[in-house]
Amino acid sequence: MSSQPSTTEEPQHPLAGTRMTGADMVVQVLADEQVDTIFGYSGGAILPTYDAVFRYNDHNRLANGKSPIPLIVPANEQGAGFMAAGYARASGKVGVVMVTSGPGATNTVTPVRDCQADSVPIVVICGQVPTQAIGTDAFQEAPVSAIMGAVAKHVFLVTDPELLEATMRSAFEIARTGRPGPVVIDIPKDIQNWEGVFTGSGALPLTGYRNRLQSVTGNRISDESCERFYGMLAESERPLIYAGGGVINGNATKAMRRLANAHGIPVATTLMALGASDTTHPLSLHMLGMHGMAFANYAVEDCDFLIAIGARFDDRVAGDPPRFAPNAKKIAHLDIDISEVGKVKSVHWHNVGLLARDLEDLGEYGRKIGFDKSFDAWHEHIAHLKAEHCLNYERDSALIQPYAVIEEINRITGGKAIIATGVGQHQMWAAQYFDFKEPRLWLTSGSMGTMGFGLPAAIGAQFAQPDRLVIDIDGDGSMRMNIGELETATTYGLPVKIIVFNNFGDGMVRQWQKLYYKGRMSGSDKSLHRKDFVKTAEADGFRFAQRLDDQSRLAAVIREFIDFEGPAFLEVIIDPDAGVYPMVGPGMSYDKMITGDYIKSRDKRDDEQPGPSEMF
Amino acid sequence: MRHAISVLLQNEVGALTRMTGLFSTRGYNIDSLNVAPTNDPSVSRVTLVISGSDWAIAQLNAQLAKLVDVVNIHDMTLGPHFERELVILKLKLATGGFAGVLSLAKRFGAEILDDAQNSCTIQLTGKLGEIDAFIEEASQIGTLSAVARSGSVAVSRGEVALSTYSRDHRLTG
Repeated sequence: MSSQPSTTEEPQHPLAGTRMTGADMVVQVLADEQVDTIFGYSGGAILPTYDAVFRYNDHNRLANGKSPIPLIVPANEQGAGFMAAGYARASGKVGVVMVTSGPGATNTVTPVRDCQADSVPIVVICGQVPTQAIGTDAFQEAPVSAIMGAVAKHVFLVTDPELLEATMRSAFEIARTGRPGPVVIDIPKDIQNWEGVFTGSGALPLTGYRNRLQSVTGNRISDESCERFYGMLAESERPLIYAGGGVINGNATKAMRRLANAHGIPVATTLMALGASDTTHPLSLHMLGMHGMAFANYAVEDCDFLIAIGARFDDRVAGDPPRFAPNAKKIAHLDIDISEVGKVKSVHWHNVGLLARDLEDLGEYGRKIGFDKSFDAWHEHIAHLKAEHCLNYERDSALIQPYAVIEEINRITGGKAIIATGVGQHQMWAAQYFDFKEPRLWLTSGSMGTMGFGLPAAIGAQFAQPDRLVIDIDGDGSMRMNIGELETATTYGLPVKIIVFNNFGDGMVRQWQKLYYKGRMSGSDKSLHRKDFVKTAEADGFRFAQRLDDQSRLAAVIREFIDFEGPAFLEVIIDPDAGVYPMVGPGMSYDKMITGDYIKSRDKRDDEQPGPSEMF
Repeated sequence: MRHAISVLLQNEVGALTRMTGLFSTRGYNIDSLNVAPTNDPSVSRVTLVISGSDWAIAQLNAQLAKLVDVVNIHDMTLGPHFERELVILKLKLATGGFAGVLSLAKRFGAEILDDAQNSCTIQLTGKLGEIDAFIEEASQIGTLSAVARSGSVAVSRGEVALSTYSRDHRLTG
């Protein structure tokens, strides 16, 4: 295998033929890939490349005096990983992380797995001990290729310096093509210090990967297939789109909305796909699943034709796959990843390809045949479900209700702010009570469920979208996980708004312990913990750091918090007993949904409990 | 059902680890695994034998196809194919036991590689059932002190060969 010098019509790279170090090549490829931010933490084995970044920025300063590729330094490498993830999710571009060997690399394992699980494109560049020291238990050595191989989309250990340049380009190609994901490049220090000729083009052959990708990208839906799809739609009285994160990753939002609107097909989105449909649109059913809207879950129960788009029937949506969408006579599935088709639930029609194009193709066929079936009765039914089974909570409580706080923020932001979250109750409340008018506004760790995701993701998103309002909705548990990054927000003067819902413990864990473990709060109570979040924020340089514990001040404080120019921190002391409802228990079907005391249920309450091993 | 699956794998650092890691990550138990380079030094051929439902095997193949290092995959069991395995075993013999070894070797077409005072080393190449039967019978002649099996290798019958290019026909359905 060799890097292939460009022989095609591509113009030659201005630096082609120049001698430079491996480190300089790494940075030059980053520049060529239009990387405008690196998140990372330095250390011995990555020093040559950090030096190359410094020199690149020094020689290529922008007209405004700024660095073209600024290095953003977190408190912990896990923070860098989630910043890159937040950057990638909010922009659709590849996020870049640069860390040292050993602990630097292993601290990024969690964000790498998180990105793999949620299909987020990042490239992680790790320094490695020099080639001759690999395998000797050298200082700050870790088997990065073995560790990351199990969790990343792909990992490269560069052993031949001549392939470094091509490997860098291939990493970006793999990260962003097909089903996106994280790619790790492990670069021994001697290879960073090696000097050779920069060719300015060429990538690794990646024969199998490219062949398979080509099959998928070349797979247009045939007329025959379109005909079968529209045949199922014509037979249906109650069609429903079940949209997943693939719609957002595949930049297929516009195409999906067009198809849904053209035929009046209601859309329920997964947690990952919030914003794929405008949640304020009458056809939008907001979120389905374990903590989905009751009306969305009822619509799934009632639909007779389910159209899954970029979704994978995971256990938080289809806890009991055979009884998921039990009245759907037909199920169709569009995805970019063939391994997701039939993985959990068998379907009657599928197409593997590029979602944006395939949805346009389907819509085009519908127009061509003049498909004009109307689903008026279904729309009436949906409107009724939405009115009857809407979200609700205790409105007369003396304690601050977290739902009210989000409603208040949402009144100001109107579905246009970027919302990042940690993991737990606050995450679900944010998913339920915020509106999302566009994609890439909702940044959450869906599959991995990583506590501590919110703050660094918000920081990364603010770098990607400097003019957007970015809010981190966090919990006291999740905030503790990466609390060091509070300082990162003030260091870089980022105007992120950070709100911590403090219920003095791990609320979601407590909710499960109340439901399934007879109220034994093992390890989840933090009421005796001494953390003063406001003082912490103040110590980290927040000029706005307040605690809200008086309901009467809620609206005024929220307004002041959101309007504050610069980083702002707000702790809200919430009702410690506030729960997340609706809730479909783990492994349960939607007809076993618990709606709580304030949301109207249409099913008879059933006390069936999930089996102990289904409870994850 | 038992499947013999051939995989062409790019010879990259960690490629085999990523592939075998997938088996445990996704909960598959493999019966045998054979890996060796091909005529193209940048590509190795892997033959894995695994039992599972059609769904489980299709899912395994789909997951394997997501590994960047995998060049191509072919489930040999889906069509006519040749599958062979090699075994070398060592037998400890009682005095006068060698006559039995000679007759065993003759019946199976095995090759005696080495015979010492009280032990001998025998090699056999054959189909799966033959290897099993051979080992079973050998164990009745003497005491097996070593059994080294290569694991199955397989190629399809006829002209069809596992190439570096494939098209997935299941993309629409």
